[in-house]
Amino acid sequence: MDAFSSSPSSGSPSQQFSADDFKDQLKTQLAQAYAEEFLETLRGKCFEKCITKPGSSLSGGESSCISRCVERYIEATGIISKSLFSAPH
Amino acid sequence: MDPSQYQSNELAQFIAQEKERAMVNEMVGKLTNVCWDKCITGTPGSKFSSSESSCLSNCARRYMDMSVIIMKRFQNMQ
Repeated sequence: MDAFSSSPSSGSPSQQFSADDFKDQLKTQLAQAYAEEFLETLRGKCFEKCITKPGSSLSGGESSCISRCVERYIEATGIISKSLFSAPH
Repeated sequence: MDPSQYQSNELAQFIAQEKERAMVNEMVGKLTNVCWDKCITGTPGSKFSSSESSCLSNCARRYMDMSVIIMKRFQNMQ
């Protein structure tokens, strides 16, 4: 079974890949690709901000910085989104 | 219009919408990336200061303003 089929490979006419199947698969895969890219950005930004001198384990300070960083970055994404798509001053 | 034509139009439209959505997400992602670096200079806090949040929204808008200027200049040079 390849990434785009939702039926077993015997492919009888009653199990054809429908337009709705295609749309669902496309939406799912786009959402997954977006999530992976977002996570990769988060890792990069928060490592840069929070782990200035890598030690032999993550300190409590580093862990809480990372949590705050994730929250702030998600918040920043919302702020940017809103400023682009609401009425300009 | 026969059913297969309807379906391929519908799919073409669906694909165009998803493509636009993906492009918007890419723009927001790129801007957030760049503006985070410009505006969040210290360690992330438990909330943004008001100067940090206005910097972020200003950053996105000024970037778009700049984009317009660049396009105009570039077209003038053609």
